[in-house]
Amino acid sequence: MANRVVVQTSALIVDTFREASARKIIWGFFGCSTALILFVLLIVKIDIVAGTLATVTFFGNTGRTQDVNQLVRQAHAGVAAVLYGFGMLLAVLASAGLIPTIFEPGRIELLLSKPVERYHILLGRYAGNLLLIALNIFYPVLALWIIFGWKTGIWTPGFLWGSILTLFMFAVYLSVVLLIGVLWESAVVATMVTFGLMIISVILYNRVGIAKLLSSELSRNIVRSLYYALPKAVDIGQILRQIVMGQPIESWMPVWSTALFGLVCLAGGVYVFQRKNY
Amino acid sequence: MTYAIETEGLTKVFKKAWSKKEFRAVDGVSLRVERGATYGLLGPNGAGKTTFVKMLLSCSHPTAGLAKVFGMDTRTRPARQPIGYLPENHRFPTYMTGRGMLDFYAALSGMDSGSRKKRIPELLDIVGLNQWGNTRLGKYSKGMLQRVGLAQALMHEPLLLVLDEPSDGVDPVGRRQIRDILHALEQKGVTIFLNSHLLVEVELFCRDVAIIQNGKVALEGRVQELTAGSGYTVEAEGVPEQLATELRTRAKSFSQNNGSLAVLFGDRETANQAVDLLRAERCDIEKLGRVNSTLEEVFMRTVSGK
Repeated sequence: MANRVVVQTSALIVDTFREASARKIIWGFFGCSTALILFVLLIVKIDIVAGTLATVTFFGNTGRTQDVNQLVRQAHAGVAAVLYGFGMLLAVLASAGLIPTIFEPGRIELLLSKPVERYHILLGRYAGNLLLIALNIFYPVLALWIIFGWKTGIWTPGFLWGSILTLFMFAVYLSVVLLIGVLWESAVVATMVTFGLMIISVILYNRVGIAKLLSSELSRNIVRSLYYALPKAVDIGQILRQIVMGQPIESWMPVWSTALFGLVCLAGGVYVFQRKNY
Repeated sequence: MTYAIETEGLTKVFKKAWSKKEFRAVDGVSLRVERGATYGLLGPNGAGKTTFVKMLLSCSHPTAGLAKVFGMDTRTRPARQPIGYLPENHRFPTYMTGRGMLDFYAALSGMDSGSRKKRIPELLDIVGLNQWGNTRLGKYSKGMLQRVGLAQALMHEPLLLVLDEPSDGVDPVGRRQIRDILHALEQKGVTIFLNSHLLVEVELFCRDVAIIQNGKVALEGRVQELTAGSGYTVEAEGVPEQLATELRTRAKSFSQNNGSLAVLFGDRETANQAVDLLRAERCDIEKLGRVNSTLEEVFMRTVSGK
């Protein structure tokens, strides 16, 4: 029984990788990550003298700073921000096509005819996507962490922990892609809704300012409710920076409330898929 | 007795979201397919055949009634374990090779890696694609896709094979090859459930048949029995006009050309009486025999209601 579940889950995950490979998604990510690693490796030249930073060279410009630790953390934070922002857009764009493809007529019937539970098929595909993006996040993060550590001798773990938060945020967006994919079976709609959520989270981050512009209490309550109900990408981005910089976290509320949103989407997607006719 | 397939009042009603209009795609279908049988499901387009098959495979949920496979409710996962399925208009992922596709679907059927590695070359050989195993499915012809699709359905050695238009797009040689494979499976006791528009194919291969129309079973029985006893044909020459007119009133069909007469009677007794009358008039009997219906005629009669 357990063996059968492992065999089926592995097949679903490997299939996601095969499809991503055929669509050149893996290679695209790998190429971007490698370019970023090489870029950092070639342009950053740091000289340490007796544990103190002597010079830092960026694009041939040499500067001096006393705090090596601070510099490394800032470099980590810069890379983490790129991965969290730009990388997230790419990841959603790439993954949005990988989930709805299994609902194509002629393909879904064959999957459903196999002795696999429906939720297993869906979550297997979700896990495959998540693993794919996890590898594409951890590859540059680990490589850059090693490069910075090797060049400076500073091995702060915040950068590594921060990448888990990036993956977490992607997992939440992927659950949205999954729900929309099951409902509308369209990669385009799934992408649009997910990007829409990203934009809304930026707007709702400024809820205090927006509330001042609203005249009715009801409107203000709606804005506040939306803020608490929807993913808080900007807040989590700030937490990510605090983790990388080694600063204390004021509140984990954005993380757990966003996790709750993701779980609701995931459960909703599974529920609809279980009941749907193909 | 446990049947390979057993449905009781199986019904599927589709409702339009806005108008709430109902469409009964399958309407109270009760079928029993014996173990080891070769069973053909026929019906005009939109009759409900595909919806029926989808409910057997749990792709679609019944509105009412029950479907069982080897005594197991088809809504449960174990009921799908003994089923091998080849869908109509399948869309196998084109990024997979033939070998990769067989491996993937066999893994979903719960086969372990060792068994898959052993079984894949065997099946590629059986369907005549052993040279194509490492080629991507995107480069396969329609006929090759059908054959690799059949191999996919056979990977985990199913007890029940559900085939939706298996010969679609396959050339005559390949069609014969598929029929031979199915005959070999029939010998092994595998139940074969065939959903096909090719009536000749069903007539050649299936022992039992059901014709579905407007979501209901319009006719069910053994192919041999349904196509038997259509009538008796009598052909004679030098038939006087008065006798020809007399025979015409008793005939199911009648044709006359230059004194030569061909008449089809519905039963043996009427045919015997006609022979007596013809011999009494010293007419020459050219041909006398029993005529079986083709399945196509049975099908056309059933769906047209005549």
